[in-house]
Amino acid sequence: MATASKKGPNGKGDKTTRNLVVGMILFVVVAGAGAALASNHAIKSASNPSAVETADGYGIGFNPKAPVKVDFYEDFQCPHCRDFESANHIYINKIISDGKIHAVFHPMSFIGNESVLTAAAAACASDQGKFLQLHSALFATQPASENSGTWTNARLIALGNSVGITSNKYADCVNNGQYLDWTKNVEDYAGKANINSTPTILINGTPIAQTAYLNSSALEAAFTAAGIK
Amino acid sequence: MKKIFNSTTQPWFTFLARLTLAGVLLAAGWIKAMKPHEAAASVRVYEVLPVNIANSFGYILPWIEIGIALLLIVGIWARWSSIAAGTLMVLFVIAIAQAWVRKLPINCGCFGNGGITADGKVHPWTYATEIIRDIGLILLSIFITYFPSGKFALDTGTDNHENGGER
Repeated sequence: MATASKKGPNGKGDKTTRNLVVGMILFVVVAGAGAALASNHAIKSASNPSAVETADGYGIGFNPKAPVKVDFYEDFQCPHCRDFESANHIYINKIISDGKIHAVFHPMSFIGNESVLTAAAAACASDQGKFLQLHSALFATQPASENSGTWTNARLIALGNSVGITSNKYADCVNNGQYLDWTKNVEDYAGKANINSTPTILINGTPIAQTAYLNSSALEAAFTAAGIK
Repeated sequence: MKKIFNSTTQPWFTFLARLTLAGVLLAAGWIKAMKPHEAAASVRVYEVLPVNIANSFGYILPWIEIGIALLLIVGIWARWSSIAAGTLMVLFVIAIAQAWVRKLPINCGCFGNGGITADGKVHPWTYATEIIRDIGLILLSIFITYFPSGKFALDTGTDNHENGGER
């Protein structure tokens, strides 16, 4: 190519090289953009965990009959979600287990591949009735850097066992990637719902002020204002 | 200035400008291309485009940036690719400025310090530094537009390669 550039623009070889390179660049752009468009949309045929509420953005639901609906958009690799979780998990897990809120969890995966793996594993845990337990464990053991190779199927299975998941179905679910496609549906819905950052918590569809996320008294005040005593 | 910048050194300056502009575009494009959902969110946060269009644009934009960067590196149509890069930067500046005025947080993903932090405070420097960086890149693209022919280029930098001579 170095010699081609010295031949001058009138040389035939120069033009051929140039056109060839233009063609390759065009191919990269079209193939990349096409693949990005093609692979980032909902997959209707994806299998869903049993607790999924398809109408609620494929989120994992608890207490669907409770009057106050709370949506949790989180990414298991997001440090701020970990901070939110460590500040508030006792309160939130309690109002869920007391049946006071209709909680819908949307484990997002925009941070990359290990977000997809952890979200899919959380869905597997949901089928074993241990979603909240694995959810807390995933944040408690969040690696210092994202996509560092820490989250592997083996490690996710071990983590599941550590929170009391004994069924082999969980291990099979993780190893078979049963809910990998489901994560795309969650992500697609969150994108259409204009969720741009995590954590985003909606009480009856209205986002909680960002100032309240790491301030547990402000957060509890927001829930109290929504009628949760 | 005249001593440093003359007809002999100009192609080297153009080459450096091309590489700098391309490096930024390639890095920005590649990071976003690897995280398409975050790229889509990073378009949505500006609240300029309708959500559906913003999402599609977010998926495509990184590849457009990569394409322009590759053209700048190999030095094909340097004038037109630098005009395209400059136009993108102008659009980014407009997007950031309107977000600043509307006090929209321009961070996305796991929320950090994109103009408005968790404590609700507005941080003007977050917007300002992004705008200053983009204006620097706009200046580079203007330079290439005026002096498109540079070192290690596969053509003369303009589209009328049939008439151009070796420089």
